[in-house]
Amino acid sequence: MVSSSAAVVRPLKARRLPWTVVPFLAILAGLVLMAIFAPLVSPVDPNAQNLLARLKAPGFSSRGIVYYLGTDELGRDVLSRIIYGARVSLLVAFASVALSGVFGSTLGMVAAFYRGWVETVLMRLVDIVLSVPAILLAIITVAVLGPSLTNVVIVLALTRWPRYARVAYGQTLSVANMPYVRLSRFMGAGWFRLLSRHILPNIAGGLIVVATLEFGLMVLFEAGLSFLGLGVQPPTSSWGAMLSTGRNYVGTAWWIATFPGVALFLLVLAINLIGDHMRDRLDPRSR
Amino acid sequence: MSAFFLKRALQAFVAVLGVITLIFFLQRLAGDPVLLLVPQNATQADIEAMRTSLGFDRPLAVQYFDYLSGLIMFDFGRSYVQNVPVWTLILSRLPYTLMLAGGALLVAFGVGIPLGVAMAVRRGRPEAKAMMGFVLAGQSMPTFWSAILMIIVFAVWLGWLPPSGARSWSSLIMPSIALGLLSMATFARVARTAVLDELEKDYVRTGHAKGLPMHRIVARHLLRNAAIPVVTVAALEIANLLAGAVIVETVFAWPGLGQLTVQAINARDFMLVQGVVLLGAVTAIVLNLVADLLYSIIDPRIRLEGNA
Amino acid sequence: MKTVSRPFRSFLAGIVLACSPLVLQPAQAKDQFVVDLTNEPSSLDPQKQWNPDSYYVYRNIFDNLLTRDDAGKIVPQIATEWSYRSDTEVTFKIRDDVKFHDGTPLTAKDVAFSINRIINPAFASPQLGQFNKIVSAEATGDHEVTIKTDGAYPVLLAQLVKLSIVPQQVVEAKGDDAFNAAPIGSGPYKFVSWQKGVAVALERNDDYWGEKGVFPTVEFRAVPDAATRVANLQAGTTDLAVGLDTDLAAQLESSANAKTLSVLTERIGYVKLNPNLPPFDDKRVRQAVAEAIDKQTIVDGLLGGVDKPATQMAMPAHFGYVEGIKNYDYNPEDAKKLITEAGAAGKQVGFATAPAFDQRIVQAVAQMLTNAGLKVDIEMTDMATYLKRAQSAPASQAAISFGRWSCACQDVDGVLFPLLHSSSSWASGSSPEIDKLLDEARNTLDEKVRLEAYRKVSTHVAEDVPLVPLYQAAIIYGAAKNLEWQPTANESLFLNRMKWQD
Repeated sequence: MVSSSAAVVRPLKARRLPWTVVPFLAILAGLVLMAIFAPLVSPVDPNAQNLLARLKAPGFSSRGIVYYLGTDELGRDVLSRIIYGARVSLLVAFASVALSGVFGSTLGMVAAFYRGWVETVLMRLVDIVLSVPAILLAIITVAVLGPSLTNVVIVLALTRWPRYARVAYGQTLSVANMPYVRLSRFMGAGWFRLLSRHILPNIAGGLIVVATLEFGLMVLFEAGLSFLGLGVQPPTSSWGAMLSTGRNYVGTAWWIATFPGVALFLLVLAINLIGDHMRDRLDPRSR
Repeated sequence: MSAFFLKRALQAFVAVLGVITLIFFLQRLAGDPVLLLVPQNATQADIEAMRTSLGFDRPLAVQYFDYLSGLIMFDFGRSYVQNVPVWTLILSRLPYTLMLAGGALLVAFGVGIPLGVAMAVRRGRPEAKAMMGFVLAGQSMPTFWSAILMIIVFAVWLGWLPPSGARSWSSLIMPSIALGLLSMATFARVARTAVLDELEKDYVRTGHAKGLPMHRIVARHLLRNAAIPVVTVAALEIANLLAGAVIVETVFAWPGLGQLTVQAINARDFMLVQGVVLLGAVTAIVLNLVADLLYSIIDPRIRLEGNA
Repeated sequence: MKTVSRPFRSFLAGIVLACSPLVLQPAQAKDQFVVDLTNEPSSLDPQKQWNPDSYYVYRNIFDNLLTRDDAGKIVPQIATEWSYRSDTEVTFKIRDDVKFHDGTPLTAKDVAFSINRIINPAFASPQLGQFNKIVSAEATGDHEVTIKTDGAYPVLLAQLVKLSIVPQQVVEAKGDDAFNAAPIGSGPYKFVSWQKGVAVALERNDDYWGEKGVFPTVEFRAVPDAATRVANLQAGTTDLAVGLDTDLAAQLESSANAKTLSVLTERIGYVKLNPNLPPFDDKRVRQAVAEAIDKQTIVDGLLGGVDKPATQMAMPAHFGYVEGIKNYDYNPEDAKKLITEAGAAGKQVGFATAPAFDQRIVQAVAQMLTNAGLKVDIEMTDMATYLKRAQSAPASQAAISFGRWSCACQDVDGVLFPLLHSSSSWASGSSPEIDKLLDEARNTLDEKVRLEAYRKVSTHVAEDVPLVPLYQAAIIYGAAKNLEWQPTANESLFLNRMKWQD
């Protein structure tokens, strides 16, 4: 039950990866690379419209351009929009998880460690934020700050940080009571050292599990925000926006939603599987 | 225990007050409903007249205290858009929200937990991998997409279920599944993690050594211990459900509170939004309180509100 | 386990009670006509609100003083004939065979009451602005009403098309709230019930004085999502759905249960420029915008050729539409040249829009302007924020905004005055000559004078480009395959003008 105070995270390379995880790691890597090198990989400009070539099936070609995955409702190349859309989905998910994770975990750790009025104020703050409907926060933020990618990240971070806080709080409560931690405290170790050396490594596993769950969720939530008209602004393509628009074309132009949907599905699946695997790795034994 | 309870109740009251105040002022930052109520070619004079008749020309502080004093008398105000008291609107939608939440929880809990436990107990076997695949698939699609797919397959092509609306029991099926799918995956994974953690523990090995069958160990001892993280997640998931309900209710035209909230926010129907948020805040805070209480009951080692 | 049973039982009972709305619904009658709206009506009192979803429903419960036929001409409804005593006084003769749904006869007193109710500032009707040129209405006989206006008011008749007649005795006895909850009118359909959020149910008025409806019962439901409305039509659970665009309508082409019906409406889609903000303070840039937009391709490509490109902020059915207004032709090279000349190349401009507008058109226009050299940023906010910005002080309005305008009056005064007159909150600039022309045109009954003034205004718009009229919008309905109905330009859903094909 007692873990050493040294870092618990074992490098993944130390063991063989099970064959079920490797393909999804490859998929994730592929999507990330696709996002980074979008201008090189993408056949055409994702925003180039061709109003007379709307809703064309995959394989359509005109004026020397081949639209491998078809064209959308404004005649833009679906494949290029998917490639550039990877940027948006990955960036939004990563940034919002990082922001909410760091902020929320810190808050939760501090609250559980210090107890007393600090704990009360912070945990009630968590309650307050949790009881404000996320939709309300989203609409008001967009109304006040204006719509943009940054504000989407802010909205997502604002609504999700309490989750990290609650998990960090609960887990820190258990760890903080352990003999060696209390000993260190008694011996006068500073709060930063205590939190980072003793608490954080022990709760990191649980937090990373939450973070990987959240990563996939953030990709999906960005799609939900696009559905409600609060996502990234057109003409920027995000998979969520393409899926949302594509709903209206299921019968006539199924490719508009299906391909981004598959991409989204693969991304979230890969993240979830890898996250699960990491959980197994980081925490092979219970505390 | 009762001192703790009282303390938390007081804090809950303050928290609710905090939410109401926050929402009251936050909403008004984003404009008022007058422009949405008048025709396009209304003149400045018309707009100002409307503003005055709705009381928006008074200073914010006055409007705030007016609202608070109304709350004390359980008067939640009137909807500017529909001209009826807020509580009648909320009451008319509440049953539908409860039904949807119940249905979704049934799907999430009733399918998710057993699935999670089964996956943990049969870890490494092919059926566990298949179950994991199913669970992960359910967690990898946005709600509005799975919703429209279900509508097309089950309502338009097969004609088994009504595509939308709240006519009868059969119209509750698809919305519940759509809403419960994400939560089901979460419950399954958390339950699996929690059970896996417990399986490593000594008492399980002891039980095996004593000759107890697996299902006995699981039922009698393991589940209780595995309950803590599940309880934490459950409280959060219910909040998730109510948020995700917005999309499900919009797509399926299910007349619940989620749909009402979004429409009210878009229409800047302040009183209605405040009423819904108040209801939500009280519910969420009470749920959290209950979760914390359960926490301390299940694991007496965790002493809340106390000295370390 | 005994301690669990009682709270558990009451919990179960609570759930059953909560589910009762589902169980207590009457089964859907076979001869019920179902209509899908985008939102449920906000109120059924005809004078308490102004939005299309409420209008669709209450227009069938109430009769108006005048109405329009399917071709758009003003024809009698409750009023049978009218005559102008003077520029400011009009007398209407009222039908004598009309009964309200509770059996009481409709008299001139009810008409006068309805008008006075809506112009009463204490009543705070959002529609007040459309009728406030009316000073008073008096019942000058059992079946005669005299209306007095403040000065000559040429749009009076067009506005009276929107005035519903409510029963004085019922409203005064029950009060506004109760009347709103259970409205009583004289129209072809009677109010039955309103389950908030779910549906409004109407039944046929078999004692109606005019053309009776075909459907015995009608239900209006709110289905916010357009794709779901289409699914409802395809599944056959809905007979009529509003608010489809051309792409959604295309999904119904191969459907066995549904078809589309469309008609050109009064709405004009336009792009508004803000001459207070650079680069639009330079006329060359505004002209470039007009030349950069390919209206015909937008209409053909995106709107399925159903809508028509607009040359001015009016359609042929509007009074005030003038032939021969010359716009700048589509000329993308010249647009690029003008923008570079004016030093506006690469300038960032915000393009305001809201979800209710066709986003395909917004994106198409934004792209055309980007091709011409401007850097266009689409700013989509919800409707409330969009309106707030569009009607704020000229300096804080968006550089470009997209909009669709309809005054529901088929008179150009309702379009040009609010968009261009400096006293209006929508206006982005002020020009004394335009103000004078608009004031002149709205205060005279002489049609020739009015037309000449509007000709001058529309020519100015085409030449100076404070806004670019894009297209005349069509409205597309989804309907059951065997529904026979001619939709009208003023978007009224007259249930008694619909019937089934044999």
